[in-house]
Amino acid sequence: MFEMFEYDFMQRAFLAGIIIAILASISGTFVVLKRYSLIGETLAHSSLLGVAVGLIAGYNPLWAAVVFAVISAWIIEYLRSAFSLYSDAVLSILLSGSLAAAVIIVSLGGAFNNSLFSYLFGSILSVTYEDVVTIAIFGTLALGTLLFFSKELYFIAYDEEVAKVSGIKVKFLNFLLVSVVAIIIALSIRVVGSLLIGALMVIPTVSALQFRVGFLKSVVISLSIALFSVILGMTLSFHFSLPSGATIVLCVLGIFILSLIINNRK
Amino acid sequence: MKFNLPIFDIKNLSFIVKGQRILSNISLEIFRSEYIAIIGPNGGGKTTLVRMLLGLEKPTSGEVKIYGKKLSDFKEWHKIGYVPQRASHVDSSFPATVLDIVKMGRTSQGGIFSSFNETDKKLVYDAMAKMDILDLQDKMIGTLSGGQRQRAMIARALASNPEILILDEPNTGVDVASQKNFYALLRKLNQEDKITIVFITHDIGVIADDIARLFTINEKAVICNDPKHLLSCQEMSELYGIDAHLLHNHKHEH
Ligand SMILES: Nc1ncnc2c1ncn2[C@@H]1O[C@H](COP(=O)(O)OP(=O)(O)OP(=O)(O)O)[C@@H](O)[C@H]1O
Ligand SMILES: [Mg+2]
Repeated sequence: MFEMFEYDFMQRAFLAGIIIAILASISGTFVVLKRYSLIGETLAHSSLLGVAVGLIAGYNPLWAAVVFAVISAWIIEYLRSAFSLYSDAVLSILLSGSLAAAVIIVSLGGAFNNSLFSYLFGSILSVTYEDVVTIAIFGTLALGTLLFFSKELYFIAYDEEVAKVSGIKVKFLNFLLVSVVAIIIALSIRVVGSLLIGALMVIPTVSALQFRVGFLKSVVISLSIALFSVILGMTLSFHFSLPSGATIVLCVLGIFILSLIINNRK
Repeated sequence: MKFNLPIFDIKNLSFIVKGQRILSNISLEIFRSEYIAIIGPNGGGKTTLVRMLLGLEKPTSGEVKIYGKKLSDFKEWHKIGYVPQRASHVDSSFPATVLDIVKMGRTSQGGIFSSFNETDKKLVYDAMAKMDILDLQDKMIGTLSGGQRQRAMIARALASNPEILILDEPNTGVDVASQKNFYALLRKLNQEDKITIVFITHDIGVIADDIARLFTINEKAVICNDPKHLLSCQEMSELYGIDAHLLHNHKHEH
C-alpha cells in the first residue's frame, strides 16, 4: 500500500495534490456560494490561453497563465458589476473566448503542442520539486488572504448589499476573491489540468451543502472531501495506472453522489 | 425631540430611469431618535428612496447627507442597521445557522484580526434574545418559517448596535401575534434605546401612536408631521394627488 511513497515523484505528486485540494475546496466554498461555480472552468481556460501564449512567445507558461487568469478574472468581475450582466453568461462568454483564442494561437504556432496537452489534463506525476515549492508558497499566500477576509467574504456571499451597507468594502473584496481564485487555478492546472480544476473547486462544496450545516462545518466537510478524493484518486491512479486528474474527479463525483443519497433519504 | 443635526438630510432628490420618473424633487430630514413610517402604493418609490439613503442607488440629481457628511465620505456604517425588502427570501441550501446570520452583524467591526470577542458575543446574544430567537440559534436559516427568518434578519441588524434602523416591509408574511410583538419591540427600541427608526410599512394604523412622523411616497413625498391626525394627513395627501387609501382603510379598522 505505502510502497508508492518510495518514489520521489509520488511524494511530490501527493504534496502538490494535497495543497491543491486545500486551496480548491476552500476558495471553492466562496465561489459556489456567490453562484460563481463556473468561474473555475473559465479561469482555467484563460490560464490555458496564458500557457499557449507563454509556450509560443517563450515565456514561463506558469507565470503567463497567472497573468492571463488574473486579467480574465478582473474582466469577469468588471462586466458583472458594471453592467449587471448575468454572471453565468459572463463566465460562459469568457470561457469560450479564452479557449478559442488559445486554440488559434497554438495552431498559428505550429502543431498542437504536447506540453499544452499536459496543461489540459494535468500531469501530476511529472510535478517537479520546484513546482511543489511554487505552489506551496503562493498557495499559502492565497489561502492566508481568503482566511483573513473569510467573515467578510461570507457576508458578501450571503447578501452583497447588506454587506455594503454594513461598511464592508464589497467591490475591493470581490476583485480580491476572483484574483486569488485566478492565481490558485493558474497554479493548479499543471497538476490537475484545466479541465479538472473546476470540478475540484465546485463538487466538494456542493457535496458539503447537502449536509445542511452551518458555515464552518460546511467548509470542514468540503475540505475533507477534497483531501480524501485527491488521496484516494492518486492512490488508485498509481495502482491501476489510470490518469491521475480524471481519477480524482471521478472519486469526488462518487462522494458527491454518496452525499446526495445520504442526505436525501426519507 | 429634534436636534440640530439631522441624521439624514435629503435635498431635491430625483431619480429617473429610462425616462421614467420614479422620484421627483424630494427633500426631507430625519432626526435623531425619530420614529418615521414610510407608506405609499406599490411601485411608489419607497424602496428606491431608502436605497438612495444608503448609497445603493445613485440619484439622478439632488443630494443625500448622512450625519452631515456626503455618502462617499461617511465611514461609520455600523451605526446603520438595514433590513431590505426581500431579506427573508434566502436560498434554502445556503450554509448558515441563525447564529451565523446574526454574527454577520458584527463583521465590519473591530477590524480583521479581532476575533469574535466578548462584546460581540454579548451583542449577538442580546439581539437574538430581543427577537426571541435564542432557541433557534443552531437551526439552518433555510429551514425556518418566513416570520422566523425575518426575526433573524432584524437580529442581525440589531447586532451591529445601530443608532438607526431601516426596515423595508420586514413584517410581510408574519402572523398577527408576532406582528404585535414586533411593533411593541420597535416602540421599545425607539423609546428606551433611542434608536432612530425608519419603517416602510403598509400597516400604518397599528403604529400610528408610536411614530413621530409619516412620509407618504408616490413619486413625490408628502410629509405629515402629526400622524395622530391621520385624516388631515390624508386630505393633504389627496391634495398632492397621492393615493392614500391605505391610510383610509386602516383608519376604519382601528
Ligand atoms: N434601478 C432601477 N431600474 C429600473 N427601474 C427601477 C429601478 N429602481 C426602481 N425602479 C422602478 O421604480 C419604481 C419604484 O420601485 P420601488 O421598489 O421603490 O417601489 P416601492 O414603493 O418600494 O414598492 P413596494 O411597495 O412594492 O415595495 C418601480 O416601478 C421600479 O420598477
Ligand atoms: Mg419596496
